[in-house]
Amino acid sequence: MSIIRAILLSIILIIPVKANTIYNLIKIPNLEIYEINTKNKLKYFYAARPFGLGTQKNIVCSNPNKKDLKIKYKIIHKNLNRYSYDYLKKINLKYIVLCENLSISELYTAGIPDNIMKTLILDIKFNEDYFERVIHHEVFHIIHLQHKSIFNDEEWIRFNNSNFKYAECSTCTKKISLEQYQETKGFFTEYSKSTASEDMAEVYSHMIYLKKTEINQIRKSDPILNNKISYIKNRIKEIDNSFTF
Amino acid sequence: MVKKIRASKSEKFIFVFLIVLGIITFCTYFIIKNKCLFVKNINPKSIAFKKPNNIAILNAPCGNVIIELYPNISPNAVQRFITLIKSNAYENIAFHRVIENKLIQAGDLEFGKKGNLDYGKIGTGKSGLGTIKSEIDNNFNYTKGSVGLARTFRNDTEDSQFFIILQDEPLFKGEYTPVGKVLFGLEVLKKIKYERRSEYILRPDFINSFKMLN
Repeated sequence: MSIIRAILLSIILIIPVKANTIYNLIKIPNLEIYEINTKNKLKYFYAARPFGLGTQKNIVCSNPNKKDLKIKYKIIHKNLNRYSYDYLKKINLKYIVLCENLSISELYTAGIPDNIMKTLILDIKFNEDYFERVIHHEVFHIIHLQHKSIFNDEEWIRFNNSNFKYAECSTCTKKISLEQYQETKGFFTEYSKSTASEDMAEVYSHMIYLKKTEINQIRKSDPILNNKISYIKNRIKEIDNSFTF
Repeated sequence: MVKKIRASKSEKFIFVFLIVLGIITFCTYFIIKNKCLFVKNINPKSIAFKKPNNIAILNAPCGNVIIELYPNISPNAVQRFITLIKSNAYENIAFHRVIENKLIQAGDLEFGKKGNLDYGKIGTGKSGLGTIKSEIDNNFNYTKGSVGLARTFRNDTEDSQFFIILQDEPLFKGEYTPVGKVLFGLEVLKKIKYERRSEYILRPDFINSFKMLN
């Protein structure tokens, strides 16, 4: 055993430290640049090899194949391009990491936001049906993390019927469908009912993704969603007055 | 009568070889020991600068590094930098983080002072002047020799620590506050002590002096 240890130690000591600028910036290993010259100055990286994050390495993601990456990058870029540099700066988002099969503690997820590192990790293969909308859902989580004080859960919960209760956490329920309800009744999707934060993210992403006429229609027919939409709109205005949905 | 024994050809050859080997070993020892031997030391007084008031001279173990500061790009950061330079705060401060041919970092006034190094905390020290706001909304390109202020993971935490890059770093644009660029002396910086196994340096080199030209 001690011989193996000695060999391992000598390997560690022999291998020189590899300075990686991307790792130094956002503390995610095995990334390479995909595109950094964008209009709104978002920097896109992709996983060149699988990576694990966190002390327990409970966040893992694989490297996507080049063909998928090319297709999905176009979609992601188109959607994120609607955010200006100033807006992105205010919400503290600068780096987009593209990878495949993203999971936290073996639970698959569309994205992982980290406002401190200004990074959003996106699974390019997550839910093809709602892929574009989910991008904005994850952007909202960055906004929420960055501006926690202006989004008040208690205030939000009061918009719902008094007998409604969110689940304990976003992964504490099996009702996680992202399909938009025909009859909204205060919630855009089943997943909206998981937590207040996910509900806000669903409202935000629909406000971005749906046409203005569709949103106006929903506002007229659903008083709860009307309040929620107004709430998100006003809070986003507080962050950036020039932002339009 | 003592019989004179003449050295054979091979013995003569071995003798000459040993002498040459000795000379080479002797020279090599001094060449290796003196890492600054082939580094040209620039005398700032021999150069006519366009903006002499913006020139700072950092003296490292192998000579002078001449830096032009850019107050037009980052006024607050440059002002802080000049304040610290003029107060001699950077003297005897360690180059505590060095990545071979990539980056050198110094300026921890609290834990990086010669004779008072704290290896456990180096890189986290402060100047006592407080932090300043990041100035990153410029179009400054981080090319080889660029000088920027270091910070924590959060913006607006710049203080006294600075870095100089030894290769182009396009990802630094809009990320770190630039303060200037090395005009002369990159070779001096490449000779600053580094370790292949760690970015943080045990028994590091120190800044001898850091002064404004005028």
